[in-house]
Amino acid sequence: MDEFHTEDETGFVVEEVSKIIKESVEAAIGGNAYQHSRVNQWTASVVEQCLSQLSKLGKSFKYIVTCIIMQKNGAGLQTASACFWENSTDGSCAVRWENKSMYCIVNVFGLGI
Amino acid sequence: MPAGNLPLTDGLWSPWQHQVLRGHSLLLGPRGPEIDKLKEGEAVMSDLLKDKTQRREKRTGKAPSEGVRGKETTGRTNVKDSISTVSCVDELGHHDDNARMPVTMENTYQMGPYKRFPVPAVTDILKDVLTSYLQEEKYEVEWSQKMTKTICEVIRARVKDLMIPRYKIVVLVHIGQLTGQSMQISSRCLWDASNDTFASYSFKNSSLFGVATVYAVYFE
Repeated sequence: MDEFHTEDETGFVVEEVSKIIKESVEAAIGGNAYQHSRVNQWTASVVEQCLSQLSKLGKSFKYIVTCIIMQKNGAGLQTASACFWENSTDGSCAVRWENKSMYCIVNVFGLGI
Repeated sequence: MPAGNLPLTDGLWSPWQHQVLRGHSLLLGPRGPEIDKLKEGEAVMSDLLKDKTQRREKRTGKAPSEGVRGKETTGRTNVKDSISTVSCVDELGHHDDNARMPVTMENTYQMGPYKRFPVPAVTDILKDVLTSYLQEEKYEVEWSQKMTKTICEVIRARVKDLMIPRYKIVVLVHIGQLTGQSMQISSRCLWDASNDTFASYSFKNSSLFGVATVYAVYFE
């Protein structure tokens, strides 16, 4: 089968994904202050928007999207991840977003099929 | 670094490699709305309660409407006084020649996994690792940075030891301080629900909490 695509398109493209994530986060929680009653719905909507935009890219990837929303309180948080996969086809992207009252960390892992 | 000396069942494990993502540390400036002092690598102590069934709320008072436009924060201009940073993968070791060329595997005509991913066994592994590493510890910044990465690697090694063929593994670990604040962690996946799954466990002691999640994705 002839390859019509450039090599970049067969792997995980970080810039594209990070753009999608930033847009989803801005759209979902953009100008809001932290509200405990709404945080559940916010995380759900960030994650759903990310996933639907990612699936619109039409690439043959399985995606895992994780979102953490944390109130700003002077707390410390550490996050790390380790993966066992195929470097040439799989990749991940993490975006940290914050505003005056909360932090949002979104991790996207894309695994090629 | 080779992917391990696992005996190969169908030859699919060898090209896969390990990666450890750089940990994120959330930095919080002094209590209050300023985010001017936020820098990578510092973490301020505060309470973080992560409990799935109940979350203690700490009312910070109604923050002024975030619709204040054009406000400068840390000098990174942003219209809505929010900041975003992108971090990428920190690769362990080498970029080999295969970095840009995906390896094409031969078709094995296998319709599904012969051995499924054992969720309860992995949950036990997570519980065991988190408890043994975090049981009597107190939250400290540098220590917890190293510990998060160490725990990630230990969990990944133990899950690999289970030798479930054709499954790719993603391990995610969060360690944070308990100071009574509120937090929500959620994830959603676009995958094949019949073959792919996840396991997670959360641990708490008097000064910190730890959450570990393992996602297992079948390689078709």
